[in-house]
Amino acid sequence: METTTGFGLLSLVTFLPLIGAILLMCIPQQFEKFHKVMAMSITIATFIISLQILNVFESRSFHFQLVEFIPWIKQWGLHYRVGIDGISLWLVLLTTFLTVVATTFSLYVNKRVKAYMIMLLLLETSMLGVFVSLDLILFYAFFEASLIPMALMIWIWGGERRNYAAIKFFIFTFVGSIFMLIGMIALFLLHKDATGIASFSLIDIQDAVATGKLWEGAENLHALQGLLFWAFAVAFIVKCPMFPVHTWLPDAHVEAPTAGSIILAGVLLKMGTYGMLRFCLPLFPDVLPNNVFWLMLLATIGIIYGAIVAAVQPDVKKLVAYSSVAHMGFVVLGIFSLSHTGMQGGAMQQLNHGISTGALFLLIGLIYERRHTRMFKDFGGLKSQMPIFSALFLIIMLSSVGLPGTNGFIGEFLALMGAFESGFSGVMGFSWWLPAIAATGVILAAVYLLWMFQKMFYGSNSNPENKRLKDLKPWEIALVGTLVVFVFWGGLYPNTFLKPMESSIAATRLMALGGVNGRPSWKNLNHEVDPKGNLVQVSPRAPGGSLLPYTVERIVTPAQLHHRYDPPDMDRVPRQGPPQIQGNRDLPPAVALNSGGPSTP
Amino acid sequence: MPNVPLEMIWWVLGLPLIGFLLQAFLGKKIIDTLGHRYGKKIVGTMAVLPIAAAFLLGIGITANLAQFPPGERNVVLTLFSWIEIMSIKIPFEVVVDPLSMTMVLIITGIGSLIHLYATGYMGDEKDYSRFFTYLNLFIACMLILVLGNNLALLFIGWEGVGVCSYLLIGFWFKDLNNSRAANKAFIVNRIGDVGLTLGMFILVLMMAGNAERLGLTDGRWLSYDVLLPNMVEVFKDQPFLTATVALLLFVGACGKSAQFPLYLWLPDAMAGPTPVSALIHAATMVTAGVFLLNRMSVLFELSPFASAIIAIIGAFTALFAALIAFGQTDIKKVLAYSTVSQLGFMFIACGAGAYWAGMFHVTTHAFFKALLFLGAGAVIYAMAHEQDMRKYGNLLKYLPITGACMLVAWVAISGLAVPFLFGFAGFYSKETILGGALAGQHAIAGGINLGMIAGWVGLLVAMLTAFYMTRMTWMTFFGKQERWRLADGPSHDHGDSHHADHEAHDENAHHAHEDHGPDVHGFFYTEAEMARRAELEEHDHHHDIEPTHEPKEVGPAMWIPLAVLGVLSVIGGWFLYSGDRFKKWLYPNGLTVLPPEVVPKYPEWETLLMFLSIGAALAGVLLGWHFYKKGLPEREGWDLAKWHPFRRAAANQFHYDQKMVDGSLKGGAQLGEMLNRTDKGFIDGMVNGIAWLTGLFGNLLKRFQTGNVRWYAAMMLLGGIGVLGYLWWVALKLGGA
Repeated sequence: METTTGFGLLSLVTFLPLIGAILLMCIPQQFEKFHKVMAMSITIATFIISLQILNVFESRSFHFQLVEFIPWIKQWGLHYRVGIDGISLWLVLLTTFLTVVATTFSLYVNKRVKAYMIMLLLLETSMLGVFVSLDLILFYAFFEASLIPMALMIWIWGGERRNYAAIKFFIFTFVGSIFMLIGMIALFLLHKDATGIASFSLIDIQDAVATGKLWEGAENLHALQGLLFWAFAVAFIVKCPMFPVHTWLPDAHVEAPTAGSIILAGVLLKMGTYGMLRFCLPLFPDVLPNNVFWLMLLATIGIIYGAIVAAVQPDVKKLVAYSSVAHMGFVVLGIFSLSHTGMQGGAMQQLNHGISTGALFLLIGLIYERRHTRMFKDFGGLKSQMPIFSALFLIIMLSSVGLPGTNGFIGEFLALMGAFESGFSGVMGFSWWLPAIAATGVILAAVYLLWMFQKMFYGSNSNPENKRLKDLKPWEIALVGTLVVFVFWGGLYPNTFLKPMESSIAATRLMALGGVNGRPSWKNLNHEVDPKGNLVQVSPRAPGGSLLPYTVERIVTPAQLHHRYDPPDMDRVPRQGPPQIQGNRDLPPAVALNSGGPSTP
Repeated sequence: MPNVPLEMIWWVLGLPLIGFLLQAFLGKKIIDTLGHRYGKKIVGTMAVLPIAAAFLLGIGITANLAQFPPGERNVVLTLFSWIEIMSIKIPFEVVVDPLSMTMVLIITGIGSLIHLYATGYMGDEKDYSRFFTYLNLFIACMLILVLGNNLALLFIGWEGVGVCSYLLIGFWFKDLNNSRAANKAFIVNRIGDVGLTLGMFILVLMMAGNAERLGLTDGRWLSYDVLLPNMVEVFKDQPFLTATVALLLFVGACGKSAQFPLYLWLPDAMAGPTPVSALIHAATMVTAGVFLLNRMSVLFELSPFASAIIAIIGAFTALFAALIAFGQTDIKKVLAYSTVSQLGFMFIACGAGAYWAGMFHVTTHAFFKALLFLGAGAVIYAMAHEQDMRKYGNLLKYLPITGACMLVAWVAISGLAVPFLFGFAGFYSKETILGGALAGQHAIAGGINLGMIAGWVGLLVAMLTAFYMTRMTWMTFFGKQERWRLADGPSHDHGDSHHADHEAHDENAHHAHEDHGPDVHGFFYTEAEMARRAELEEHDHHHDIEPTHEPKEVGPAMWIPLAVLGVLSVIGGWFLYSGDRFKKWLYPNGLTVLPPEVVPKYPEWETLLMFLSIGAALAGVLLGWHFYKKGLPEREGWDLAKWHPFRRAAANQFHYDQKMVDGSLKGGAQLGEMLNRTDKGFIDGMVNGIAWLTGLFGNLLKRFQTGNVRWYAAMMLLGGIGVLGYLWWVALKLGGA
C-alpha cells in the first residue's frame, strides 16, 4: 500500500471526466459538434490514463494499491480515501472503456447535446468513484451520485414512458441504498465502540472485523450482524438486480437512450455485485453461512425466471434487459459460492457481462438509429441485407449464450463449477441442486438468444423499410470490433483478467471464511496470500521499499478454515437449507481445492 | 512413409483454422473481384487445400506414432495456459494417441473428400465463401474436440461443432423452417451439454477432493493424463457416484450422437446442404459421443449399471430409428434415420464394453454413410433438387458412376459378406459389435444382462437395416418406372435448395414508399442504388422437377470422392479387421479395468454368429427386393390414406417428435406469458404501493410528473442536506458521549 497524500493517478482518472464536464458547461450549447468531440476526447484520455494503472499494479498483493488519502472531517473519521485492488482494477478499466464506447455512439445524439455529454461525463466520474472509494460514506456518496445522471438521462432522452421508468429506477435503487447508509452508520458506531476510533474507513472497519474486535462488544451478535448484512445486501440486490426487485431494469433499459443502456448494463449493475464482494463478504463473516442460501436461491430463481420472461418479449431491448437478470444471477451464484473457483468465475462474469451485454445494446442502438423501432415484428431477414452487422451480432450473441472460446463461457463455467462444488459438499448451507438447476439456465439462454437472432436476421427480408438499409459504416464496425476483440480475448486467454484479481479474490474468500485471526486484514501489511491461497505472514517491508516480492515468515493457519475436504458420500444426504450455527464461531469447513495447503493441526 | 515429428500436430490443428480465417476475411472479396467463375475456383481450392494438407500431416504423425512402443503411444503437447487459477488449471494441450489420431484421420480424410465434393455441389451458390467459412471452422473445432487433452478443451470443440452445425443447417436462412431446424439442433444439444458440464464438475470435485491422498499437485484435474490413471482409485467403492458421472457424460453423448430421447434434432438437421449432412451429421460430429465414451472408457468400465443403460438405450434407438426409416420417402430422411440407428449400434458396443468395436463402426460407418449421403446428394443434384424417392426410379441408367458407388455403399451398410472369405466394411464392424454384446458380461443391471438383450435386438435391426436400405436402393436406382415422368405426384415440400425468397411478392405491394426524412447519416441506399441491388439479386425460384427432365451424371469433383469412398467401403473393413489390427492399434493392452473374459472378443460360437449376421443381412435384402422389385408399391404412393397405419405412424416418428416439440413450445410460451404478466402486475403494484405508503415518495412522484427538473434537483439537494444534518447530529452525539 503505497500511500500518496494528495491527488494521484486514481484521482486523476476519477475526476478528469468531472473537469471535462465543467469545461463543457462553459461552452454554449449551439456548438454541438464541439461538445461531441470534446466529450469523446475526454473519455478517450481517461481510458488511456486508466491503462497506466495496469503498468503500476502489482497483482501478487491483495492490498489496496495507489492509495490516496486526504484528511477531511477528522471528527467523523470521514476522509477522502481511494485505492484499488484486483477486484476493482478491472471494473475501473471496464468503466473507462465502456464510457468511450457509449460516448462514441452518442455522436448520433441530436437532442440537447451539451447536457447529454455532461451527463455522460458526470456518470463516469460517479461510477469510477464507486469502484475506487475506500471510505464508506464516500462510497455511498458516489453510489447515490451515479443515480442522478442516469435517471436524468432516462428522463430527458428516454422513450415514451420515460417518466415512469425514471421514477421507478430512482425509487427502487434509492430505497435500497438507504438501508446501506443505515448499515454504514451502524458499522461506524460499532467500530467506535470497539476501538475508540471514529472512522468510516473500510480498511479500519475490516481490520476490526478480522481481529474479531468489532463484533465482540455487540450484544445479540448474530441478530445484529445478520441485520446489517442484509442492510448492505438489499442495496446491492436491488442494484444487481436480482429477483424479485429486478422490475425496474427492463423499464429503465427500454426507455433509456442507447448510451445509457450500455452504461447501465455494462457498469451500473456491476456496482451491486462489486458491493457484495467488497462489503458483504469481508465485513460479516460470521453470518454468511446462515444467509448465503437465500442469496443463492434468489440468484437461481433469477437465472431461470429472467430467461423464461426474456423469451416472450416482443421488444429486443427488453429481451436483453431480462437476459441481464439471468446473467447477473450467475455472478451472484459465483460470488456467494464462497469457493475460489466460483468467486473468480463470478468476478470474471461481471466483466464478461459488461462486454457482451454492452455490445448487444450498442448493436441494438445501431439498428434503432436507423429504423427507430426495436420490435421483432419490424425485422427479419436482415442477414442478407446487412451481412457484417449480422456477423458481429452473431458473435456477440454467442458470447452471451456462453459459447466456449468466448468470454461468456469462462465466467459461467467457473461460477457454476464453484457453486456446484460448494453445493455438493453442502458446507455453505446450500445443496448441489441449486446450481444444478441454475445450470439449466444455460439451455434457456440458448433458447431466447437464438430466437432473438432468428427473428431479427433469418427468414425473408420482407419489410420494404429494411430493404433500404445499408450495412454498418466503417467506424461503427471498428467500434463493435473492439468489443469483439475482448470477447475472444476473454475467452481464449482469460488469464489476463483472472491473474490480477486472484490474490484479492483469495483474500476476500479468507476474510469471509477464516476464523478470527485467520482472516487477512487490509490494514495489516504483513498479511499476504501466497500462490496456493494461504494466508502468510511476510516480513515487514522497509518504508518506501518495493511492495513485493516478499519473504514468507510463516504461514498463518486460519483458525477454522480447514484445508481438507471430505469426498462427497452420496449415501449421506447433503445438508439442505441454511444450517444453524452452533456456538459462536463454529464455521463449517470450506471447500479447499488447493491441495498443497497446510494440513489442519 | 516420412517421419513427421509429433509437434506438427499444431499444424494439423492450425491449417483448418487458417483456412477459416482466410475464407472469412478474403473469400467474399476474392469472388467479388475475380467474378464467380474464377473466384469460386480459387476459394474452393483455398478451402480444400488446408484440410488435405492436414490429412497428409496426420498420416505422417500417425506413422510416427505407430513406431513408438505400444505403451508409450500417448504424447501430450502443451501450447499455453488457458485457464489458470489457484484451484484449477486448464492448459491448452493436445494429446497424440491412437484414439485421437484415428479420429483426426477420419475427420481430415473424409473432410477433404467432402470439401472437394462441395466445391462441385455448391457451385451455383451465391454465398459460396460463407459455406466454406463455416465448413473449415467445423473441421478446426472437431479437431480441437478429438485432440484436446482435457475435458474442457473437448467442450470447446463440442460446442464449437454445435455452432457450426447450427450455422450450416440454417445456411439457407431465408426459409424459416431451416432456421427452426438449426435452433432445434443447438438447443437439444445444449440439453446434453448441461449433462456433460455437470459430469465434468463432479469429476473436478472428486479429483480435487482426493488430490492430497493421491499426491497430485498440479491442479490439472480435467486433463486425461491426470484424470484417467487415477480414475479407479478416485471412484473406488462409490458405485452410485460412478454411475451418476457416467450417465451425466452419457447425456452429453446422447445429445451430440442423437440417441433417444435427444435424437430429435438429427432428422431436422437434413435441412442443411447435403455435404453438411454427409460430413457433420453422418461421418464426424455425431460420432463425438462414441469418441467421448472411448476416451473416458475407464469410467464406464467401472460402472456396469451405467453401461447397461447405455447398451439398452443404444439398442432401443437403433430399433426405433430403423422402424421410422420405413415410413420415410425423402431420401435424405431415410439416411438420417439410418444414421441414428447405426449410432445406436455404436452405443450397444460401448455399453457392452467393446469400445474398439464402437470405434470400428465409427470408422466404417464414416466410409459408407458419407458415401451414401454424397451419392444421395449427387442424385438430388441430378434430379433438379427433388428429394422424394417417389419421383425416382431407374436412375442407374442415367447415373452409372453415382449408382455404382451407391450400390457398393448399400452392400456395405447391409453387412453382406462371403463366408470365410471376404466381407464389406459394415459386415466386420457389425459382427464385432454383435459378438461383443452377445457374449459380454459387463452391461449387467439388476442381474439382467442388458448387453446381451441389446445384442439380440441389434441382430434384428441388422436385418431391418438391410431391408430399408434395399427399399431405398430399389426405389431410386432400379425398376422400370421413371416416376418423375409421371404426372401423378402432387407438388410437395422440398428441402435442399428450396430457399425461394418470397420478397418479390411483398415488394410490389409496398412499393409506394412513404416520404422519408433526409438521410443525414447515410444510413440508407438511394433509390438508384436500390434499383441496382434489386437487379443484382438472384431470383432463384424453385421449380418442380419437369416430366421431361433428363438426369445427367455429375462432374468429376463430385464423383471422385464417391469413388474413393466406394473403395474404402469395400476394403476398409477387411483391412482394419484382418489380424485384429484395429483393436491392437486402439487398445494394445486391452481395457484398464475389465478382464478379457468379461468382454470377450467373440463368442465361442463365432461361426454361428457369422452365419446369423450374414443371414440377417441376406433376409433383409431379399425382403426388400421382394417388396420393391416392381417399383413403388401402390400402398406407398402419394395418397397417405392408402398407407398401412403402421407406416403412417412411422412416417410421423410415432408422434414422439411432435409431442415433445409442441409440448415444450406451448408449455414454454404459456409459462413465459404467465410470468411476464405477473412481472408487469408485480411492478406496478410495488411502485404504487410504495408511493402510496410513504408521503415522501408520493410527493416526489407528483413532482416528477410535473416534469420540472429544477424541483427534482432541489429535492435531491434537500435530501442530501437532510442526510448530512443527520450525520452531523450523530457525530455530535457521539463526540459528546
